[in-house]
Amino acid sequence: MSNDEIFAAAYREHYWAVSRYVARRLDGRTGEVEEVVAEVFTVAWRRRAELPHTPLPWLYGVARNCLSNAVRGRGRHRRLLDRLGNDHAAHGRHLTSGPEAEPPGGWVHEALARLSGKDQEVLRLTAWEELGVDELAVALGCGSRAAAMRLHRARARLRAEIDRMRHPAATAPHTARRTRNPAATTPAKEHGHG
Amino acid sequence: MADELDLLRRADPVPADAPHLGDGPLPARAEQHLEQLLHGPSTAPHRPAARLLRPARRRVRAAWGLAASAVVAVTVAALLLGSTGAPPALAAPRPLAVLADATPLPLDRLADRAERAAADGGPALRKGTHVRSWSLGMSDDEPPVTLPEERVVRWTADGRHTELVVATDPRHPGRPVLGGDEDGTPRLVEDGHVLRHRTYPPSWSDAPPQSPPPHDAAGLRAYLGEARHGDVTGTPELLDATALLLDHWTLGARESAALTRLLAEDGRLRPAGRVTDRLGRPGHAYVSEESGVRRMLILDPVTGAVLGMETTFSEDRPEYGVRAGDVMEYSAWSR
Repeated sequence: MSNDEIFAAAYREHYWAVSRYVARRLDGRTGEVEEVVAEVFTVAWRRRAELPHTPLPWLYGVARNCLSNAVRGRGRHRRLLDRLGNDHAAHGRHLTSGPEAEPPGGWVHEALARLSGKDQEVLRLTAWEELGVDELAVALGCGSRAAAMRLHRARARLRAEIDRMRHPAATAPHTARRTRNPAATTPAKEHGHG
Repeated sequence: MADELDLLRRADPVPADAPHLGDGPLPARAEQHLEQLLHGPSTAPHRPAARLLRPARRRVRAAWGLAASAVVAVTVAALLLGSTGAPPALAAPRPLAVLADATPLPLDRLADRAERAAADGGPALRKGTHVRSWSLGMSDDEPPVTLPEERVVRWTADGRHTELVVATDPRHPGRPVLGGDEDGTPRLVEDGHVLRHRTYPPSWSDAPPQSPPPHDAAGLRAYLGEARHGDVTGTPELLDATALLLDHWTLGARESAALTRLLAEDGRLRPAGRVTDRLGRPGHAYVSEESGVRRMLILDPVTGAVLGMETTFSEDRPEYGVRAGDVMEYSAWSR
């Protein structure tokens, strides 16, 4: 098969998986999913000579870069809104009830949102895109050992956040911490973000 | 308790069997895109899809760091002085002035009016939008000024649609507009400079916001929730969803009435007074303030139609280089 034929096969096979990847990260902005996915495959087309034998993790890596561009471009005001919202939460003006009080989606997302962007991505790729460590490495553009280490640390951080939400009274002093530097208060984060 | 990855798996916002995104045949537009990539002439340019990410292309790309918007305006003015005879239409707008009303019009009464107006007839729902918008760029490494633009989307009966985007500043018609980012440097473009003009192949979708909005408040709430992939129980979420809807549809009288009723039922939008919007139209302003941000919805006082939305900072945020009252973004919709 030529590069073009391999690309076409990958496009057809993985179009919807890439669409879901993008939709999960666009936070409800459904109108933009199709545009971003088109950009992903356009970039992939230009780089089709690099398309690996198992293309999906590589396509996720391309999508990750496209999304970071899209998010940058789409209204940086939105990120500012997010930051402002986070700061208000940090000052106790926003309350999270915790695992016992809400359906799982909400508080797990809340716990995830408290992690760094890198941690969030490694966890999403594992849980939502169901990548194994080797595939994770392709998507993240790093080696397998580094990917495994990142996942290990990110899991520990997520677990710590979930535990805090389950026992808010015991961790009250930590409620002022938000996403800016999560490494500052979590023992597992002392080693940095990999 | 399940481990953290299990919990996260259960919280997947777009599972593999999600409606509209589950595995299946390619949609028509995806087929067409693949065809273009494989065989079309449009694959030759180095940046064939550079304009697909519309918002990214809206901004002026320059090596300016984030600075206070007032400083930015001065900087931009300094860059541009002498380059043209007429003062340029700088991109950072002032907030709209609201005149406090001695007898403010509550939103539920406006919803009553809108329903009466809809019962008497009025304009019909139309797919597509006509919006003038601007948003403040916020980043440590990207320029803080963005281009004010006018976007018109029109659909035809065969499922095609055309998008035309031009640079224009409604406050300064006829004057040059700061914009143009083809080579990464800011420059002036003429008012009405075409930024994008594209015709899209036929596309049919029965999912919000592509599907027609219902014309009752409860149905519209569900529709907006589906369009956002989330609930619209909070006022900010409801207003975001409203903007999303209006960026896809030009509402008819019935849909406008339903939207006004839905906004009234929210109960957290406070009447602020009378305002003249950026297109010179009289309106009533309804505001909501949360997390250091003030959102103002401008409604037609007769029909209840949404004319525009403006978001401003309600607190100084020196770390972001903005002050209370600075405009974060605005949109003004028209037919």
